[in-house]
Amino acid sequence: MTGQADAPHISVDHVNKRFQTASRAQLQALKDVSFAATRGEFISIVGPSGCGKSTLLYIVAGLLDASDGTVTVDDERVTGPSPERGVVLQNFSIFPWRRVIDNVAYGPEMRGASRQERRRIARQYLETVGLGEFAEYFPRELSGGMKQRIAIAQMLACNPSIFLMDEPFGALDALTREVLQEQLLRLWERDRKTVLFVTHSIDEAVLLSDRVIVMATRPGRIKEIVPIDLPRPRRAEEIRALPQFGTLRRHIWASIRAETLEMMQ
Amino acid sequence: MKPDSAAQAAPLPRPSSRPTLPAGLVRWLHAVARYYPVALILLLWELCSRIGLFDPLFVPALSDVLQTWYVEMFVTHDLLVHIAYSFGRASIGFAMGATVGIMVGILMGRVRAIESFVDPLISAIFPTPKLAIFPLMMVFLGIGDASKIALIFLGCFFPIVIATYAGVKNVDKYFIWNARTKGANSRQVMWTVVFPAAMPFVFAGLRTAMLTAFLLIVASELIAANEGLGYLIIFAQRTFNPTLMFAGVLTVSTMGFIADRLLQALGRRLFRWQEQAER
Ligand SMILES: Nc1ncnc2c1ncn2[C@@H]1O[C@H](COP(=O)(O)OP(=O)(O)O)[C@@H](O)[C@H]1O
Ligand SMILES: [Mg+2]
Repeated sequence: MTGQADAPHISVDHVNKRFQTASRAQLQALKDVSFAATRGEFISIVGPSGCGKSTLLYIVAGLLDASDGTVTVDDERVTGPSPERGVVLQNFSIFPWRRVIDNVAYGPEMRGASRQERRRIARQYLETVGLGEFAEYFPRELSGGMKQRIAIAQMLACNPSIFLMDEPFGALDALTREVLQEQLLRLWERDRKTVLFVTHSIDEAVLLSDRVIVMATRPGRIKEIVPIDLPRPRRAEEIRALPQFGTLRRHIWASIRAETLEMMQ
Repeated sequence: MKPDSAAQAAPLPRPSSRPTLPAGLVRWLHAVARYYPVALILLLWELCSRIGLFDPLFVPALSDVLQTWYVEMFVTHDLLVHIAYSFGRASIGFAMGATVGIMVGILMGRVRAIESFVDPLISAIFPTPKLAIFPLMMVFLGIGDASKIALIFLGCFFPIVIATYAGVKNVDKYFIWNARTKGANSRQVMWTVVFPAAMPFVFAGLRTAMLTAFLLIVASELIAANEGLGYLIIFAQRTFNPTLMFAGVLTVSTMGFIADRLLQALGRRLFRWQEQAER
């Protein structure tokens, strides 16, 4: 780590996003969104559904263009996707025509790694997500949660410096979810990647993050950014037992709840 | 993976009290069981002829047709020559139609300028009766192979281009997004995402096109040819030889049947990854 550890790794500045809807009306999905992530920071994004979490993540990924404003990574403006910014899409979108192992090997294959090399990498990350024995299966033969883990392995195999994850644990049962949360914690503590993590689970956001961005809807915007001053390294059970954990959780919960109630009126 | 039980049963020389059928026979019986509707119709045909329901001047008995077929095929080899001509023309036209159809279909699905240029052309030219303009094609390309291949090409091109275009348009945007975030450039996206995702559609188009090719090759040879199955059929008609005519017709149907079955078997192998719809 260099001396400029506090220089932003990702910087989102005054981003607006408008969608043209089918009825020709304009929909303001994001309004004046600004924040910065330092290198190695873990940031979660929570908020009621439809508040633009996915949209924000896709703009940082370079998959969508901002209507106004800029996203910069390492002081360079984002104009398109890059394997440096790994993405796990909300609907995981692994390729059904590829066997599990060839799905995980996709990134290395695209950058021209030899068959042997990319299979070795793929095996390693399949083991990481606990699906080593399913290497030769087709995705249709796996459960939704397993597919989601394949998508995570597929991203890890590209070894990106930024993880952009859109509800990556959404389709998992509670137990697998907790196992993978622990695993992500360990992985993050070891490699210190910069992570933007969209989730519906406030518990998960508090457990994993350095900061939690709470979003409000209509138009989608940042309501507040909550610093999570819990000690690291974190063990899930110990962290959940801390009184601050409950306080933070309740605080964020109240913030979203007010938002959701307002939206329903 | 399930082992092929029929193939595994054969090399086991165990002194069993229960006699096992030879593997070849078992497979043959399976095929018969699968295609019994076809066998039923053929049987009905023979039966109607035998009890005198069909006038042999118009519809000869299946057994007579098969006998003629056997002679023409394995004794004089006349039929073999006609098959070779028809099959050759149809395959070349089909291969060309498939190649160009797939290429244009992909381009239409990916490049807006090509889409807006070709789409109205398809609407205009596809419904044009190709057989009606076939004489015109003969004026330009002669009465030999070229005009027939061109006709087949046109007949195959349209179903394939439409199917491919639909397939490419239908590719889930998120597959492409996923590929791009893994570092795929546009050429790689094409080969590793768009093409495999569209393949099941392309295959459906190939099937329609292949069956169309069988219809068109015979039709074109009926109109003008000196060889080929269509020529054989029209020659038999003109010389009042219904048995030979039916031998020709049956040859075409059987070839179409086998080709279609093979294509479907290939499709099942290629698309094992596909989710099957519940029913
Ligand atoms: N391609 C699109 N065209 C039109 N509207 C869209 C499009 N994508 C998203 N939206 C709208 O933008 C808003 C934010 O969507 P999204 O980012 O998916 O929300 P979230 O992920 O927080 O649930 C929603 O109202 C959604 O309907
Ligand atoms: Mg979303």
